[in-house]
Amino acid sequence: MTAITTDMTDHDLIAQFKEGSMEAMETIVDRYENRIFNFGLKMCGQFQDAEDITQDTFLNAFRYLDSFREETKLKNWLFKIAATACIRKRRKKKCEPDHELSLDSFMNKDGIQETYDIPDWSDDPSDKVIQAEMNAVINDSIKTLPHKYKLVFNLRDIEGFSTKETADILGISIVSVKTRLHRARLALREKISHSYQEGKSA
Amino acid sequence: MKENCKKNFERISEYLDGELGPEACQQIEQHLMECPECQDCFEALKKSIALCRKSTREEIPQNMRERLRIKLRDCFEHQETSGT
Repeated sequence: MTAITTDMTDHDLIAQFKEGSMEAMETIVDRYENRIFNFGLKMCGQFQDAEDITQDTFLNAFRYLDSFREETKLKNWLFKIAATACIRKRRKKKCEPDHELSLDSFMNKDGIQETYDIPDWSDDPSDKVIQAEMNAVINDSIKTLPHKYKLVFNLRDIEGFSTKETADILGISIVSVKTRLHRARLALREKISHSYQEGKSA
Repeated sequence: MKENCKKNFERISEYLDGELGPEACQQIEQHLMECPECQDCFEALKKSIALCRKSTREEIPQNMRERLRIKLRDCFEHQETSGT
């Protein structure tokens, strides 16, 4: 068995794992655990749920590695399993059904559009308190999105998958990805703006 | 909302993501130049997306990392591997 090196591809590592290398398995985990954990946390909002999703994702990935198609990127396949774990967790918790975000609700019918006060992100390290407050506002806003919109938003805008990759991961059409993403972004713009204005006037 | 603004409003995410053809892009850019309300709406959307992308990513805590590795080793360490 070849020694594991940092420049080995995912496919090399998978081959090593299939030969019984626990080191190869842990190198795959090292590469993706933070991204999967962060995705679980953004989806569920709780550390415990994010841990469950991370564990489920890797356990199922290694258990069903034989069904992994070599032409797929491992990262995309892991996110497909993670998204399924999030959906399953939500079902188990017997959450309320998703409500639809209608485009009309974001349009002003009298012809005057609402103005949104959105701050810029501060890159100044001395603004740690402001950054922490902004993070809390953003995370709370994402958390309130209906589940199916949150899945698309997190995959597209937080994890950086393309429209096509997101459609493949979730098993939905490209048009659905675009529609859900646009509505999620409009909802977040409103929520972030309102929270920011409330914070300023408090 | 005016009809032209509405058309623009529906496609603004695709425009931001570079998923529209040159003709549609040109129409949107022209409209944004002429309509300050839509320009404000567009800037606010762009800023909120940028904020979300810059938000902090959480790393998995050390105790959870350890539990994950223990669980995976328990499951796979002694399993029969293909070819053995």
